[in-house]
Amino acid sequence: MSAPTSHRDNLGTNLLEVRDLTVNFETVDRIVEVLKDVSIRVGREEVVGVVGESGSGKSTLAQTVIGVLDTPPARITKGTVGFEGKEILQRSDKKINFRGKGINMIFQEPLTSLNPVYSVHDQMEEAVNIGEPKMEKKEKETVIRKSLREVMIRDVEGVLNVYPHQLSGGMRQRVSIAMVLVQKPKLLILDEPTTGLDLIVQRKIISLILNLKKEILSSILLITHDLEVAAYMCDRVYVMYAGRVVESGNMKEVLQRPLHPYTTMLKNSVPEGYAKEGSLKVSSGAPPDLRHLPSGCAFHPRCQSAKDECRSKIPELKAKKDGREVACWLYE
Amino acid sequence: MNEPILEVENLTVQFKKKTKLFQSAGDEDKWKRVLDSISFSIKQGETFGIVGETGSGKTTLARTLVGIYRPKEYRIKLNGKQIDFRKREDILLLRKNIGIVFQDPVGSLNPRVTVSEIISEGLPDQQRLTDEQLGKKIKEASELVELPESKLEAYPTELSGGEKQRVSLARTLIGGKKILVLDEPTSSLDVSIQAQILNLLIGLKNELSISYIFITHDLNVIKFMCDRVAVLYYGQILEQGNTHEIFERPRHPYTADLIGANLSFTSSSEFSVAHESGEPSREGCIYQNSCGKRYTACEKSPPIFDLGKSLVKCWLYDYAEKSRAGSPREK
Ligand SMILES: Nc1ncnc2c1ncn2[C@@H]1O[C@H](COP(=O)(O)OP(=O)(O)OP(=O)(O)O)[C@@H](O)[C@H]1O
Ligand SMILES: Nc1ncnc2c1ncn2[C@@H]1O[C@H](COP(=O)(O)OP(=O)(O)OP(=O)(O)O)[C@@H](O)[C@H]1O
Ligand code: SF4
Ligand code: SF4
Ligand SMILES: [Mg+2]
Ligand SMILES: [Mg+2]
Repeated sequence: MSAPTSHRDNLGTNLLEVRDLTVNFETVDRIVEVLKDVSIRVGREEVVGVVGESGSGKSTLAQTVIGVLDTPPARITKGTVGFEGKEILQRSDKKINFRGKGINMIFQEPLTSLNPVYSVHDQMEEAVNIGEPKMEKKEKETVIRKSLREVMIRDVEGVLNVYPHQLSGGMRQRVSIAMVLVQKPKLLILDEPTTGLDLIVQRKIISLILNLKKEILSSILLITHDLEVAAYMCDRVYVMYAGRVVESGNMKEVLQRPLHPYTTMLKNSVPEGYAKEGSLKVSSGAPPDLRHLPSGCAFHPRCQSAKDECRSKIPELKAKKDGREVACWLYE
Repeated sequence: MNEPILEVENLTVQFKKKTKLFQSAGDEDKWKRVLDSISFSIKQGETFGIVGETGSGKTTLARTLVGIYRPKEYRIKLNGKQIDFRKREDILLLRKNIGIVFQDPVGSLNPRVTVSEIISEGLPDQQRLTDEQLGKKIKEASELVELPESKLEAYPTELSGGEKQRVSLARTLIGGKKILVLDEPTSSLDVSIQAQILNLLIGLKNELSISYIFITHDLNVIKFMCDRVAVLYYGQILEQGNTHEIFERPRHPYTADLIGANLSFTSSSEFSVAHESGEPSREGCIYQNSCGKRYTACEKSPPIFDLGKSLVKCWLYDYAEKSRAGSPREK
């Protein structure tokens, strides 16, 4: 685990540096701002989480970074994405898919990353080809089998010959991890990697990912709505609400001492332990419709600390001490 | 007062398998047993949890209890009255007393009618009411679930996920149902909305002293909500008992594996991936292909052992008293 580094001091050492990213979804009749001035960074060997409820923009962020965002309907209007110090953000239609070029992604539904018409073997071979095009056939076969064994698949030869739909959800996710593994990415983006999987399988996959991370020394950007999974896996975390980062910091500290009222509510929403006398401390209302964002701080209709200025002015994300950041008028 | 309001004994539900045209199937191969001789009972005001992973039979159980599926074997008593699934009036009795809320709030509400019409579907005898009486009942039900009056004339597509679940709940409450089967009622909701619905459910239970059968795959929700819990694995209840007992002293190897895999804010331990999960076994103990504690006895199907605060279907507890098959004792 690496210690959180301060934003300003270590620009060069960050593997990924996203700055002021703003993304719209544009249709004929309206423009919806889905990401607004989002800045995040991932250090080497760091596991960084992005948490938030549905529609907060987590997947859009991941897709923009790896270059698979569909433009149109999306349009990147502002921002930079630096990877190993190089600008990689593409605004044109000619997109480079960064898979296999140092960044790789595992999707919630493994069928998105697996091709239904190719056998597991052929897809694995393709994955090896992207990373090591000049490798000899025999060595490729060895690498493929080794990586399937590393994701705890026992019947390697059996799995190699089948097609993705013939595998269970947990097996599919293992195969997609194995495919990523052969490419040894420096940054691995996981978008809800275990959502929908059975509990025991989910926990096995998480352990697997963390072990592999240690072995190939990659960094991880974990996108999840599951605060408990984030708490378990991450060194640092960004909390998103309605397209903006509202808080960031060391994972444990954010959970122990949330600054933003939304983070507090998120934490209090999770049922922990046995129901005591009272109930879960959560306010009414739901995450806003991005087409009709409330004025000022988007959280103000649900915020118990809201004051007048919250309704008119949008708070900016500001650095606080101990590497924490928060966007809330309470801390101005 | 403390008599069970619902008693279920040896409930077995099976579905016909689709057999391929030229395949001649033996009799036992034609049927897929989705619930296998399960027994439990619920008291008034109690929340009984059923936890199980995908395909364990949770939804099948929910649908059977409201008379959608006819079980192969069963002994079901509602308020002491034996239910006969062949009799229409008994099915109606089940539906009158037991309401159901589904996981998918989109699929379970008719998109073409207004919220107030959907809520009134829960009243079996609505024709007998005047418009005024009906309106009053709808208003009461929507107040119970804290649904703003302004939403009553809206259509389901105009509602958020949490509001849709409130409408589903209002539909079951308006008929005065005493038992609610909640089939993953919050699984498709955001965590802050889930929290609102859980709070609502706790409040309703205290106010109306109804009973819940709370079905979910989320252990943290079960732990928070339920008085007692049953652990379902491919159609069999492998363990059931007092929630605290199950979570603090899981006895069945499967329960222990589940709880060990569950993450909470305080989890920090490494998880051992040593033993692989296998297919459920058709012979003997159903969990033996995944069990780290399996031994020779496990080739035979274990009976249910009564450990006082829990009932466990596992040979490790061979020393304990065998519970009379199908009659889980109240502690
Ligand atoms: N192709 C699209 N066209 C128009 N709007 C879109 C499109 N894809 C996403 N959006 C909108 O962008 C917003 C952010 O979506 P995104 O998928 O990034 O959220 P998320 O945080 O990943 O949510 P979830 O937890 O549900 O996966 C949502 O309001 C969504 O409706
Ligand atoms: N009407 C049906 N006909 C045939 N098989 C069925 C039917 N309904 C359910 N099954 C099968 O019974 C098993 C249990 O299904 P059920 O939906 O009850 O599980 P569940 O525990 O609710 O799962 P989930 O967590 O995915 O909702 C599954 O294997 C399913 O395919
Ligand atoms: S800015 Fe105001 S409304 Fe927004 S979270 Fe802070 S106190 Fe609440
Ligand atoms: S009966 Fe045997 S195989 Fe089954 S759970 Fe108990 S110890 Fe494991
Ligand atoms: Mg997403
Ligand atoms: Mg189900």
